[in-house]
Amino acid sequence: MFRHLSAVWTARHFVLSLVKLDLRLRYRRSVLGIGWSLLNPIAMTTVFTVVFSQLFGNGNPIGYAAFALAGLAVWGFLRDAATGGSKAFLANEAYIRQSPLPYTIYTLRTVLGQAIHTTMALGVVIVVLACWKGEAGVLVGVLLALPGFLLALVAAWAIATIGAFICAFFHDTAHILEVSCQIGFFLTPIMYDRKVLDNRGLAWLVDINPANLYLSVIRDPLLNGIPSATEFAQLGNAYVAAFVFTAALVGLAVGVVSWLQKKVIFHL
Amino acid sequence: MAKIELTDVSVTFNAHQQKRVSLKEYLIRGLLFRPSANPVLRVRALEGINITARDGDRIGIIGHNGAGKSTLLKTLAGVYPPTTGTRVVEGKICSLFDITLGFEPEATGWENILYRSYLQGETPASIRGKLDEIAAFSELGDFLNIAVRNYSQGMMMRLAFSIATAIDPEVLLVDEVLAVGDLAFTRKAQARMRELMKTARLMVIVAHDLETIRDLCTRVIWMTHGQMVMSGDPKEVVSAYVQAMTGASTQAAA
Repeated sequence: MFRHLSAVWTARHFVLSLVKLDLRLRYRRSVLGIGWSLLNPIAMTTVFTVVFSQLFGNGNPIGYAAFALAGLAVWGFLRDAATGGSKAFLANEAYIRQSPLPYTIYTLRTVLGQAIHTTMALGVVIVVLACWKGEAGVLVGVLLALPGFLLALVAAWAIATIGAFICAFFHDTAHILEVSCQIGFFLTPIMYDRKVLDNRGLAWLVDINPANLYLSVIRDPLLNGIPSATEFAQLGNAYVAAFVFTAALVGLAVGVVSWLQKKVIFHL
Repeated sequence: MAKIELTDVSVTFNAHQQKRVSLKEYLIRGLLFRPSANPVLRVRALEGINITARDGDRIGIIGHNGAGKSTLLKTLAGVYPPTTGTRVVEGKICSLFDITLGFEPEATGWENILYRSYLQGETPASIRGKLDEIAAFSELGDFLNIAVRNYSQGMMMRLAFSIATAIDPEVLLVDEVLAVGDLAFTRKAQARMRELMKTARLMVIVAHDLETIRDLCTRVIWMTHGQMVMSGDPKEVVSAYVQAMTGASTQAAA
């Protein structure tokens, strides 16, 4: 695996230059430019806030807006890594046929671009929180959430890689993933706080949801600011769980890569 | 020190009639043992290939369409892993396969020079000095400022060739790309390849232009149906190939 990673590191100029190109191309010839990547989550957040803040947000619209936007950003990142990442080999077929670079650089290309968009959306959350709460706690929250974001990045790369390899063999994988993500969206506490389900005895639904692990290490510390003792303990547990799950995902990805990398070229 | 060593290499894969194998198809084949609507064709692209080459060798590969020449080049490049046998290739590899592929169509010529160079292992520092040289050799001038999707095939080939040969490869693999260039560029490209060969590099070239093969190469391999039929002196192999082809066609005509 380390040989593979060092090969990826050697190819870093290639990947980074293409990520820059992707960012530029995504919004070429549009007026707002890169602002469009913020518009979707902000628009969704506005709608959710207007419609649901009374129902789910205890009548605290700004707090709910930050909650919803952070959740949407993280969820969107994982979803796009799964669905967009699956198409990575098909999109980069030309390079794969020419050069024996490690396959994971193509999923990395997709995931890094998405990570940048997610960072921008989360940046908006931080700005909103800083203006609203106006205390140094926001910075603490950012520092606590940062390792969580890195874990999510590694997990997204692993998910994208697994999806891309399987999609090369079974093209319906991309569609299956899209539908699953649609369903998953409603089962994950993004629009609503998990207490809504906890109070109805459905806490297990949230506990088995892997996306919730990343929400709890990114969104929760950001919103809580300086944590109390219990919140800190909870965060610690959440980090352990997220780390274990990410390690499992990485292990699975490594397994998939070593099993399939000699076969996938013939299926493209 | 560049080196190529293929020992008893074979490449075999499954090709499906339709490209898309759905999950349903897979299950039917595996579980229900029914003949599927998407049958598999087992393709033996390469069989029993043995090639040894060192610095200074220029190998030409000729053969009929579908003989496995491109597959052999891709195996040398490391794109296709051998199904059996061992492949050892040492030295910086640069491959010129389908040159219209591997360009970012929406990026400009200059940007594509960067991307392709990075693909071949260059760093921003090492490429900075060579940009002008590449641009000059390609003779594309102002066209480098516009998006590559506007280029003709010949222009793309010029650009790809300029980039490939500017990076000082130790092993150069060329797959029938020179056919698209105009006369002036073909001559220029051949001159550059000869220059590269002087610095003791390794080159493997697939071409249908037998003149080029005979002039440029130190050794020629004739392939048929995935196997090496003959390997040796360019003049001998090429004349044997021509005889076989013309003999076959006169037989067919009669």
